[in-house]
Amino acid sequence: MRVLVVEDEADLADAIARGLRREGYAVDVAYDGDEAVDKASVNDYDVVCLDLNLPRLDGIEVVRRIRADDVGQPTRVLMLTARDSTRDRITGLDEGADDYLVKPFDFEELKARVRALLRRDAGRSGAVLRVDDIELDSSRHDARRNGHQLPLTPKEFALLRYFMSRPGQVLSQEDLLEHVWDENADPFTNTVRVTVMTLRRKLADAGDGQPIETVVGRGYRLREQP
Amino acid sequence: MNPPGWLVDRLPEWARSIRFRYTLLYSAVLFGLAAVVVAAIYLVLLMALRNQPVSAGRGLWCRYGECIRFLSLSEFERLVNSQILTKLRNYSFGALGVLFVASLGVGWVVAGRVLRPIGRITSVAREIQATDLSRRIELPGPDDELKQLADTFDAMLARLDAAFAAQRQFTADASHELRNPLAIIRTNVDVALADPHADPDDLRHTITVVKRASDRMARLVDDLLALARRQEPTLEFEPFDLGVAVTEASDDFVVPAAARNIVLDRAIAPGVVVTGDRDVLKRAVANLLDNAVRLAPAGSRVRLATGSEGDRAWIAVADEGPGIAPEDQPHVFDRFWRADKARSRADGGTGLGLAIVRQIVESHGGQVRLQSKVGLGSSFVIWLPVTAARVGGAVGPAGSLAAAGSPGSSAEGFSRPPGAPSPAPAPAPTPAERARTRPSFGPPPK
Repeated sequence: MRVLVVEDEADLADAIARGLRREGYAVDVAYDGDEAVDKASVNDYDVVCLDLNLPRLDGIEVVRRIRADDVGQPTRVLMLTARDSTRDRITGLDEGADDYLVKPFDFEELKARVRALLRRDAGRSGAVLRVDDIELDSSRHDARRNGHQLPLTPKEFALLRYFMSRPGQVLSQEDLLEHVWDENADPFTNTVRVTVMTLRRKLADAGDGQPIETVVGRGYRLREQP
Repeated sequence: MNPPGWLVDRLPEWARSIRFRYTLLYSAVLFGLAAVVVAAIYLVLLMALRNQPVSAGRGLWCRYGECIRFLSLSEFERLVNSQILTKLRNYSFGALGVLFVASLGVGWVVAGRVLRPIGRITSVAREIQATDLSRRIELPGPDDELKQLADTFDAMLARLDAAFAAQRQFTADASHELRNPLAIIRTNVDVALADPHADPDDLRHTITVVKRASDRMARLVDDLLALARRQEPTLEFEPFDLGVAVTEASDDFVVPAAARNIVLDRAIAPGVVVTGDRDVLKRAVANLLDNAVRLAPAGSRVRLATGSEGDRAWIAVADEGPGIAPEDQPHVFDRFWRADKARSRADGGTGLGLAIVRQIVESHGGQVRLQSKVGLGSSFVIWLPVTAARVGGAVGPAGSLAAAGSPGSSAEGFSRPPGAPSPAPAPAPTPAERARTRPSFGPPPK
């Protein structure tokens, strides 16, 4: 899952990014509106945490432009703002924000809201994702197969979460790089292939059969039993 | 027309209204006039007609032993007159009674009509709560006294509305400015606490960030309190030497300026005595210097000069910073206004410094003016009323700023861009275009 944090207070943006990265998200940071629109037009973000009060281009305008660019799965926008009047919230939501959080916020709440926004697309209602015998609890950072806990690194966890939010879909290496890795990842290394390989090995160790199959020439798919 | 208080208190509510009093007055005047007219007619008739009630004639006519009293013609005439006058009197009293009742009714109706706009003004004023000042009376009809009253109320409401809106805006801005550093502190602490493997470097970084944010909050709270306190009449006015106070205020900036390789030139005129709150005015000077030292490019020059001209003293601070665009100049003294939000916030500005300067200066009956040109720098001049005349000749701010520079350096084109008003007496601006909207070195209007 790829997240863009847009916040002009560098100390706040960096802390949010650090906290979300630890949750296994691929996080990019933009410090003003222009930079946010640039990054959103290049990368396909799953969630944008957007400060409403930005230099250069204000948050509302950023939402409008992100919405105008939306193709396929919509980017979820979580507005962060220090203004708490009802009118500000209404404006934000009307302009296309999906959720709203008033500063200062509890970081646990921010994480929960990001998870909730991501669930909207997966069509699930709880924090726990389940595909066959694999179970992933993103709120507790816990992944199991057959009840055995999987010893996953944050990147493997993020990769498994992305597979489990799109079971049965063929996901290309580019898709995975786009949504699980941040902009600092080098697209010319085989980092995606290596991480998929280690994830598959850990899944195979915990149960019978390999749930992630290779679709030759197209990518990978998390098998779903009919 | 004003009854004593004890009587008013005993009256029922309807009898205490202007309408009631107006009705009584109207009725009394009408009734009184009518009564005078009727009485006059009656008296005139009474004098004109000889009136003598006669029950029997004085003449006696006897025949066959029986006598009948008879009336002479004149007696008969008097009898008729007497009866007519009695009837006239009775009818007049009746008519006066009817007139009295009718005048009360007409008075009540007319008073109601006249006072109806006041009722409307009252009901609208009652509906308008402190939270909804957007309503107006908007009295229709001709431009008469009551319409003028209603329009005056409307204008007052508009002013109140604007004042409340400004206050709300200020509160919203203040809470916004306080929430941002709070969010930084809270998020950094949350993230650091949630990481069980945080190493000392991570924690040190978090503590540094928290310190930075709390410093910012402390400065902001100081500035907010400074603004709030200045609004109260707590200033302690006393005469003091402006030059000494300004020198003291600028001493604090010698080290920070040197640290940024900025030259702080001072040209302080001795012996200028002004009356005011010394510490508060030092704060205003410090705020101007703080901006200049903070925002000017490294290696540039910040000039500070004081002096007096006529019955006004001035303090000027000029920098060679980025300057302020003409469209931004009217806003620089607004609270929380920043030319470049991200940059000045990172530099530690609260956005209140210049608002505080203006408030301080205006509370001393002075004015602060800005002259700026993008790329060349900005000059702020505080004008204050002076109490004692200064010894020696007067030097304007531009001249002294030039003197504050190194020998041979010219202040031309810096403190006075081409075409700008000269430092000598400028035409007095109208109250509407106060100093802040008019970048000029001219003295303020008297």
